[in-house]
Amino acid sequence: MESKSFPGTVDSLDALREYIGELSQQAGLAKKPTYSLKLAVDEIATNIILYGYQEPGIEADFQVLSEIKDDKLVVILEDIAAPFDPLAKELPNAQDLTLSLEERGIGGLGIFLTINGVDEFSYEYADGKNRNKFVMKIAAT
Amino acid sequence: MKVTITDQEEITVVEVSGDIDSKTAPEFERNAKLAMDKSKHIVIDLTDVGFMSSAGLRVLLMVYRNIRSQEGKVVLVGVSEEIQDVMSTTGFINFFTIVEKPEDGVAFLKQD
Repeated sequence: MESKSFPGTVDSLDALREYIGELSQQAGLAKKPTYSLKLAVDEIATNIILYGYQEPGIEADFQVLSEIKDDKLVVILEDIAAPFDPLAKELPNAQDLTLSLEERGIGGLGIFLTINGVDEFSYEYADGKNRNKFVMKIAAT
Repeated sequence: MKVTITDQEEITVVEVSGDIDSKTAPEFERNAKLAMDKSKHIVIDLTDVGFMSSAGLRVLLMVYRNIRSQEGKVVLVGVSEEIQDVMSTTGFINFFTIVEKPEDGVAFLKQD
């Protein structure tokens, strides 16, 4: 697996999206799935940076591990913040998403977009690290 | 990301260029509030925005609520296909008027 480190601040988000763009290009992902993956990784990285690191005052990097295998691009975000399972949060359901913008809550939209945008999303906590895994299928050409 | 605000008679145009993420969304929000203090008819030009995360959607939600409570109107201009997809998945798209060019936005707001 390839690995790249980013400082845990919002200043890293630009470079992170650019890096995900490069990986997507290497994998031969089309424009739309590339955007979806960038968005998914940006949303999860934002949570790690703001709530995992900044809120408790931790200064640390997070890692992007990646691999192009068979017909898949696998990206893993690894951080050393307190265990946080994004999937444990209650997501907006179909009905919430039709509510008028005056009525609805805004929580969980980022994670909703993450899960919705990638082919597979999973989370595990192992060896003192949060591991958020994103999988994109590469369409046969 | 860069934001510029211009007044066209009763209408205020907020032009954003660059990516809207959790780093830049506060600056977008500050400018959107500034624009809404000036006018209740707002055009938000996103022609040069290539990326918008949920942090940007939050600002749009704030704008929508604020404008509604003032009985004003907001139009979005030049929203990329990818951002429209995101607005569509989250149900945001139904609440906004989206046009292609700034002049279409101004014309829409001048209708009434």
